[in-house]
Amino acid sequence: MQIVVYLLVLAAGMGLSVEAGLLGPLGELAGHFSATLAIFMIGSILLSLIMIFFAKPNLPELFKQPKWLLTGGVLGPIYVVFLTIATPIIGVGMTMTSVLLGQIGMSLVIDHYGLLGSEKRGIDPYRALALVMILAALWLLSQE
Amino acid sequence: MTVFFAIFMLVLGGIALSVQSSINGRLGHNVGVIASAWLTFVIGFAISFLLFFFFESNHEVSLFSAPKWQLSGALFGVMYMLIVVFAVPKIGIAAATVCTISGQLIMSLLIDHFGWLENKIIPLDDYRYFAILLLVAAVTMIYLSNKRIDKKEQQVLSD
Repeated sequence: MQIVVYLLVLAAGMGLSVEAGLLGPLGELAGHFSATLAIFMIGSILLSLIMIFFAKPNLPELFKQPKWLLTGGVLGPIYVVFLTIATPIIGVGMTMTSVLLGQIGMSLVIDHYGLLGSEKRGIDPYRALALVMILAALWLLSQE
Repeated sequence: MTVFFAIFMLVLGGIALSVQSSINGRLGHNVGVIASAWLTFVIGFAISFLLFFFFESNHEVSLFSAPKWQLSGALFGVMYMLIVVFAVPKIGIAAATVCTISGQLIMSLLIDHFGWLENKIIPLDDYRYFAILLLVAAVTMIYLSNKRIDKKEQQVLSD
């Protein structure tokens, strides 16, 4: 049964690339900010419905959290605007690889300095090696 | 030059995602994953509406006249989130991360190769096949790295 869960997550990951593949052309057609708005408008409507009917959210507790914990949402639109602008220029493959490079690089920095309340971990050699390989892959993808 | 600029923007975007998932990880731990994701989307909606309202330039096509299928991107983002919430307790973070990244990379290269969804065609060539080999190795490294963290956390829990 485990295999079904693996395949489900694989399909979910594929969906993220489909999302990027939809955003690029939509941004060219209707504008980058319009495409970004479409994502967050429809996404927040869907999640509101899901939360109301299928979850038991503790909203008072949510707003009692320290304010910096509520700021994650500010970063989402930055990411989506960049995705929308960049995808038509370099294609979806290089787009996802570049994003991965930023994620892995930043996770190394966060762990190394123990930022954002995470535990200080030091440079993980596996992840540093992964970073170098992704960089090389990105260079290969950019060759024509 | 524009290619370099596009990559630079996306690396910044990846950094933003990484910071966001650190913050949301803590928030989700305190108030639940759905509530944390909901807040992320609502704040994102507020900010992207302001950007749209004040800074969007004129286009012949608007969100209302664009083909509906092109607006379906959010479905995939929300579905991804729900599936991960369901899957992580069953298969662990390390395996879930590997499946996600593999799915992303496979699908992105397929979209490029076939030019699906009205993207430009970038066919798989020898360079790209070599890149895939490197990415498979990189994903293996990421798995080993996360596996170590999974194990450490289990140790802390059992102590």
